[in-house]
Amino acid sequence: MVVLLILVAGGFVNGMSRALRTTGGEHNVILMGAGSEESVERSEIEAGVPGVLAASVAGVRTRAGVAYVSPEVHVMLPVRVGAAASTTTQSSGVQAAAAQGSSTSSMPRPKGRQVMMRGVTTAAALVHESVSLTEGRWPESGAEEVMVGRMAATVLGVAEIDLQVGKAVMIDGRPWEVVGRFSAPGTVVEAEVWLPLADLMTATKRETISCVVLTLDPYNEETGEGAEFGDIAAFAKTRPDLELVPMTEREYYGKLADFFGPIKIVAWVTAGLIAVGGLFGGLNTMYAAFASRIRELGTLQSIGYRRLAIVWSMIQESTLATAAGGLIACAVGVFMLDGLAVRFSMGAFGLMIDETVIGLGLLTGLALGVVGALPPAIRCLRPTIPVALKAV
Amino acid sequence: MIAPKFVPVVVKQLWRHRVRSVLTLSGVAIAMFLFIAVQTLQEGVRRSTQTAAGDTRLVVYRENRFCPAASRLPQFYVDRIEKIPGVVSAVPVKIVVNNCRASLDVVTFRGVPREELVGPRGWATKWQLIAGSVAEWEKRSDSALVGETLAARRGFQVGQSFDASGITVTVAGIIRSPEAQDQNVAYVHLDFLQQAAGKGGGLGSVTQFTVRVDDPAKMEQVAEAIDAEFRTEADPTMTSPEKAFVAQAGADIVEIVKFTQWLGWGCLAAVLALVANAIVLSVQDRIKEHAVLQTLGFRSGLIARLIVSEGMLIGALGGAIGTGIALSVVHFGNFSLSQEGLSIGVSASWSVLVWGLIISAGVGIVAGLVPGWRAGRREIASCFRAV
Repeated sequence: MVVLLILVAGGFVNGMSRALRTTGGEHNVILMGAGSEESVERSEIEAGVPGVLAASVAGVRTRAGVAYVSPEVHVMLPVRVGAAASTTTQSSGVQAAAAQGSSTSSMPRPKGRQVMMRGVTTAAALVHESVSLTEGRWPESGAEEVMVGRMAATVLGVAEIDLQVGKAVMIDGRPWEVVGRFSAPGTVVEAEVWLPLADLMTATKRETISCVVLTLDPYNEETGEGAEFGDIAAFAKTRPDLELVPMTEREYYGKLADFFGPIKIVAWVTAGLIAVGGLFGGLNTMYAAFASRIRELGTLQSIGYRRLAIVWSMIQESTLATAAGGLIACAVGVFMLDGLAVRFSMGAFGLMIDETVIGLGLLTGLALGVVGALPPAIRCLRPTIPVALKAV
Repeated sequence: MIAPKFVPVVVKQLWRHRVRSVLTLSGVAIAMFLFIAVQTLQEGVRRSTQTAAGDTRLVVYRENRFCPAASRLPQFYVDRIEKIPGVVSAVPVKIVVNNCRASLDVVTFRGVPREELVGPRGWATKWQLIAGSVAEWEKRSDSALVGETLAARRGFQVGQSFDASGITVTVAGIIRSPEAQDQNVAYVHLDFLQQAAGKGGGLGSVTQFTVRVDDPAKMEQVAEAIDAEFRTEADPTMTSPEKAFVAQAGADIVEIVKFTQWLGWGCLAAVLALVANAIVLSVQDRIKEHAVLQTLGFRSGLIARLIVSEGMLIGALGGAIGTGIALSVVHFGNFSLSQEGLSIGVSASWSVLVWGLIISAGVGIVAGLVPGWRAGRREIASCFRAV
């Protein structure tokens, strides 16, 4: 139980950290409004910034003449899942959701769950290389269509089947049809809902966008082509009127990972405290188990076994028991808990019980075995041989 | 349970096996520490999210929004809200938070009009100024009255400037408020925040209205009237009692805290196991001793009660240690969980302390029941033959 708890805590912290730190392309730079570095949802920049960027900064990656520049709106909105009666027609889910969410309905409005909505253009598919469309198609602008990430169902607390292509979700009091599903393994993007940028700006009544994400061509010293982060930073400095702050995408999500630092500490402290509590229980049991064998230990000493050897055998006994328990816990962790989706603070990630976490769990089990056996073993070997042989 | 003259016997039994008793006490203390920590979280959520009979505050928010950055309402709505029957006052509030996500360390700015804070029936009349003054706050446009919890967590002093969310303010005072939400925010001038927040709506735009009604029984009626007033506007509203709003906006926190209930139950199970284990071991060591006691005239029922009393004493002592440490950590730690600019304070109270002691003693009694019953039923002769 103790080792399992360590695995869960480790998997939770590992999963959260990895999901945040691996989100973001290696060469991606995000430009957001000054003062919003901690949270892009608060950022607002002029809608014309992407055009200015593409024209002013050399070294932005392009393909077939299309620049890897993605204007985006990030906003958290409550989303409800519409109950579609059937999926025989694409519009049935939309109709059912509309009926459920109608403001003229006499039923009380069900409350939604906060989901990260990202308004994007097709350039986002170029910039966010980890994202791949797994089902359906890209949503069309003006058609009230969305595409959902693989973990969006976890965030919304519904079954996967409720977010299949053709189903509907209620956003801002209107039904939106799910026309596509995407995956972005190991990143927090999988928990998002993407829709056309213009549609989200209309729905949220904004004239500004949240940020621009662009991909740089790595700088080549020989040819002089490409760009570095410093070039983007220099651009932002030369245009103070735009009030832009650049940072690499990985740096942004890394800061977000740091933001959750106190939560991770709480998870580890809780697991540690329970481990210590379990240790005390184990020590008690070991004391009792070894105390009943004082005479046996005295006999062993009298026939020539050294105390160190006896202590070592007792440690092995204890460690064998805890190692067995640890292995069972690791098996449960790997086969039942690894990858388990966890919904947390408007996002979702999978528990990541990798080799580091398993190693930590096993080490904890072994440590409990050693620490749990040492004090009782030393105590039981303290009496002299005659005293031990006379023990009851 | 047992006559007072037998209490020293129980204490001596625990003292005889000091190592075992200390280990059991430590384990119980740790488990009760976690249990009480979970209980303080539960209590914080209950206090912040359950509407009490006397509550009279409504929150008017932009419909279908919970993030302060996304909720923008025209400030002129306040005049129309105040005309709705049942409304005593409506205060426009601008909220800027450095991060909407659930965390332990969030800085929230709340911009309110000067007259709503310092007026004769202003919010400041309900606060206790621990340091600084409201007069200092009035002198500067960029001044802030900081809640006690936030000030303690970030180490703010009066006169100090700090920056969060791209906004720089100077601490004019530190306040203590009976409202949980006030303890973890920095109150600034509304127009200052509207301008400092830059593109977040600017002057004339606020995040919410805090409405006070004259009759708590009519809160729902007033809320519906407010929403009906703005239903056809470009920015429709969603009005709910303040605590219900906190429950929904802070749903992530509420769910996390609900989940920790399982941890709490697990801790109680651990206490039961630890105490039961210690009692069983102790009883096994004293089989012959119990037989001697029975020979001397101690009834089997009394022996059983002595064993149960041991369990209760270990549970109560360990529970007292764990509860005391947990409440101290909570009291001096000034913890709070924040989301969407709302705070759920983690707070200690005497009722948690008392319940902690009662529960730990009760679990100790339960743990000793079976070993005590079995020890009481043994025959004297078979006990003497036991090895």
